[in-house]
Amino acid sequence: RPHSLPRHVGVHTMLPLLLLLLPAAHGIAQLGYRPALTTEPLLGGVTTGSTFVVDQPRCVFNDYGNAVIWLVVALDQAASSFNNTERPGSSETAFQRFPDPVRAYMTLNATLGSYPCPKPEGEIAVLRVGSETSCTEDVTRPTCNGPLPVPGPYRVKFLALEGSVPVAETAWSVPITLRTAKPFSSTSTAGSGHSADMIAITTILSILFAILLAGLVAMLFWGSDSCGGSSTFSKPESVTVRRYNTHHVYDQPAARL
Amino acid sequence: MAKSDDCIHILQGLLVFGNVVIGMCGIALTAECIYFVSNPHGLYPLLKATENGDINAAAWIGIFVGLALFALSILGIIGVIKASRTLLLVYIILMLITFAFEMASCITAATHRDSLTPELFLKQMLDRYQKSEPANNSDSEVTKAWDELMLQNHCCGVTGPSDWQEYQSAFRLTHSDADYPWPRTCCVLDTQGLPVSLDGCKLGVPGYYNSNGCYDAISGPVNTHAWGVAWFGFAILCWIFCVLLGTMFYWSGIEY
Repeated sequence: RPHSLPRHVGVHTMLPLLLLLLPAAHGIAQLGYRPALTTEPLLGGVTTGSTFVVDQPRCVFNDYGNAVIWLVVALDQAASSFNNTERPGSSETAFQRFPDPVRAYMTLNATLGSYPCPKPEGEIAVLRVGSETSCTEDVTRPTCNGPLPVPGPYRVKFLALEGSVPVAETAWSVPITLRTAKPFSSTSTAGSGHSADMIAITTILSILFAILLAGLVAMLFWGSDSCGGSSTFSKPESVTVRRYNTHHVYDQPAARL
Repeated sequence: MAKSDDCIHILQGLLVFGNVVIGMCGIALTAECIYFVSNPHGLYPLLKATENGDINAAAWIGIFVGLALFALSILGIIGVIKASRTLLLVYIILMLITFAFEMASCITAATHRDSLTPELFLKQMLDRYQKSEPANNSDSEVTKAWDELMLQNHCCGVTGPSDWQEYQSAFRLTHSDADYPWPRTCCVLDTQGLPVSLDGCKLGVPGYYNSNGCYDAISGPVNTHAWGVAWFGFAILCWIFCVLLGTMFYWSGIEY
């Protein structure tokens, strides 16, 4: 006997039809692109204390010329629970209420025209998340690209909306953590010992000075008679008679012989 | 006698020659120290703000020691030629005093040089650069000196612009991280003094900001200064040591 009873024929043909319709109704294309921090060119400020820089999604949303591409910035734990039907600019996605109670906000909206494909050579195509400082407190600008208040970690993705209907999204990025400034510890400013040069100078000069002082003392107390004899000499101008051996002195030893 | 005459004359000649060299070295030392004191690289405010003594003191002592050496060398030459015991005794004692001063100057210069580590300048920069309420005049001087240094040498921070990111600073208290990841003087500036590309500078695009640190620009002249005073002084002192020993020997041989 067939499993399906004639009475349930309608249900069993309806179900596959319903299943076919569901994806069409929530037809968000899952694009394989994953947003990432910019690595080309290597930027000095790719992550700072309150901003980070991601590549623009070039050649990713080519099929969605009519859509507005938004950047969704979420706290790492809130990424998986983000609902794509959230509307940008509402209080549930307002930057000013991030990170509490809002756990993910939407900003940096652009159309496909802002991301021309392919990227011209030499052009730096980046998005700096956190660069707008003028609207951080302005609740009339809920899509403000304001500086991030906590170091994170954050995850971002791009979401294309046609009107208010999400049509395509990229994957979530890997968690991005910002830099934290630590207080400068002054333990390392203490002198890390003395260099060999300074020790050598000090030692050698001290020894030389000690020798000189010893020489001065020796000179003053013993100088008058120590170097007598052959090394004694007299002042030039006071010399009237030089010491010399007399003929008489030479004669005597010769006489003894 | 002829032999000892020759010895005497040789000794006199050597001593005169030694004193001539001391005189010339004294002048050279004075000139060198005047050059350092005149602050050619604009680093004096930074060095003054480090509380570890003053490398300038060594240079000031060097100026006076150099002049003293010149004067004493003339006294020495006269004393040797006239073989006068009093003159030479005065010469020896004054020369020993000068030796002591120059020794102090050399050791100060060498010790102070050792204390000028990158960490010292980093702490000073983080604490004082662009401090919002300058506690005293030296804070604003430190800011001006750092700005001059970064502008002229196209450098940023002590080890690099990341100094401003890694550590808390007085600068960070008044300048938000998003607008000023690092000071504007770290950006490549055009002839008007404005950043060529402010966005490029804030992003850290190579070519639009100075990515190298200023420590080399500081340590180069400071090293020259310190070693110029310390090692030249040391060389002069060694020479003086020999001349003084010879003079003492000569003095002890002079008759009353």
